[in-house]
Amino acid sequence: MFVHRSMTLKVVTVRREAGIHEARQLMAHHQIRHLPVLDDDDRLIGIVTDRDIRGALPLEMFKSPDRCQELCQKIESITQIRVGDIMTADPVTIGPHDTIEDALLMFQRHKVGAFPVVDAGGRLTGIISVRDLLRAFTNVLGIGQPGTLLCILVEEKVGQLKRIVDAITEEGISFGSVLVARYWDENKRAVFPYLLTNNVVRIKRKLKSMGFELLDPMEWYLDQLPQHEPKS
Amino acid sequence: MKRTGYLHDLRYLLHDTGPHHPECSERIQAIHKGIEAGGLTGRLKRIRAVPAQMRWIEAVHAPAYIRRFEELCLNGHRIFDFPDNQMCPETYEVALLAVGGVIETVRQVMAGEIDNAFCAVRPPGHHAEVGQAMGFCYFNNVAIAARYLQTEWQVQRVGIIDVDVHHGNGTQHIFEQDPSVFYYSCHEHPTFAFPGTGRAFEKGTGPGLGTTRNWPVLPGQGDVEYRQLIQEDLLPEMDRFKPEVVLVSCGFDAHEEDDMSDIRLTTAGYSHIMRQIVAMAERHAGGRIVSVLEGGYCLARLPELACNHVKILLGEEVAG
Repeated sequence: MFVHRSMTLKVVTVRREAGIHEARQLMAHHQIRHLPVLDDDDRLIGIVTDRDIRGALPLEMFKSPDRCQELCQKIESITQIRVGDIMTADPVTIGPHDTIEDALLMFQRHKVGAFPVVDAGGRLTGIISVRDLLRAFTNVLGIGQPGTLLCILVEEKVGQLKRIVDAITEEGISFGSVLVARYWDENKRAVFPYLLTNNVVRIKRKLKSMGFELLDPMEWYLDQLPQHEPKS
Repeated sequence: MKRTGYLHDLRYLLHDTGPHHPECSERIQAIHKGIEAGGLTGRLKRIRAVPAQMRWIEAVHAPAYIRRFEELCLNGHRIFDFPDNQMCPETYEVALLAVGGVIETVRQVMAGEIDNAFCAVRPPGHHAEVGQAMGFCYFNNVAIAARYLQTEWQVQRVGIIDVDVHHGNGTQHIFEQDPSVFYYSCHEHPTFAFPGTGRAFEKGTGPGLGTTRNWPVLPGQGDVEYRQLIQEDLLPEMDRFKPEVVLVSCGFDAHEEDDMSDIRLTTAGYSHIMRQIVAMAERHAGGRIVSVLEGGYCLARLPELACNHVKILLGEEVAG
């Protein structure tokens, strides 16, 4: 579950003196959106994103063709912009022995797309992006293997999951994964076993006869939209 | 009236999947009962199975996989890789008969001895991958038939329509790079159904980009949505592709009373689908359709579903 198991090891970096054209080309060539910025001692001093670069380009150039001459002179000044001028200095970093849950919560808090991974000695050892996390959670869900997902609504009390797992195991069915989600009915949990079989008729019947409620697939959810619109 | 073939062979009952398995021999008996009760047996050309030649199996499956299947089966193993794939000592031979029966049927259609046909085979095939048994399937009957059509009859464009409620991952993967085989599948959305593939963004790869098409149907949907997808997507795609032969991976498990899925097609809904496929095949393929059984587990509904299916192939009116 550690960040160093899911991060991208080959980090493409850039120096603060580099021009924005160079930074942009690096991103395009490697199909990435984040470049950690290193100083001469290879220490992390910032991060530059495709958004920083876009923000530095004059939008008027596209919007006002009649001011082209005036803007062309501006291009001169754009070529002078260095990565160091537009980067985020002292970016938020994460450690290789932080966990992917840490990363998940940090992504929610900081609203960025990637964290440079820096070890205890201050050395840049990798980068972890939202995309890396998505891959990790695709694996967690087990959906790369053939199987069938069920959704069982259970009361929130001790021993419910054991009954479900026992019943499924007795049928000789293997698990790809089991997700337990908060259900927005009071005192209820939604259990999502991903079963590595095509043959779920009997187990569905059995679970129902044990008193469990199998939710209509169209009623399944893992998440609910926020109750109130966020402040603009 | 069409000359319609009906592949039915009692040896398909010998593949024993053990107790409580939905893919059971009673399925074939239910289908046959429906066809008999409909008074159709006299009007159908009965086809008997022959074992497939190894070269046709090898046109799709890896030799190492075929050997492993044969050895495990003859050594008395009851399970092939996944507990879904229950076997008995006869399974390997029956699987060869399923492929061989389908190939013989296709041969008769291509030779003009019959116009179209329904193959009531077991075990089914569309989940079987090049080197992997999956979801009750061992040899991919339809995929092998398509290879046979390409090799033996130089067919340039094979259309495969998979109406089983599960995605035919095996067939898709075998042809996803092949622009001469169009694989079209409508099935319950993979988030809610086995095997978890067949998402709308899977459209083929490389030269085969565009000749794989998946239409996921949501739980609870049925006749209305199928009617729409056929009209607005399946038929336009096939009218563009113009298949010379149409193979149908015919699963009856999207029926509302089949508890293998949450899809709610009615018996009339199935008839509508088949009528549209037959009309499309008339336009492009000289009516050449070979429909091959995949899933369908509701023993109470299989007789009428199979009977209507065959009537439509014969060109008879079916209510609904």
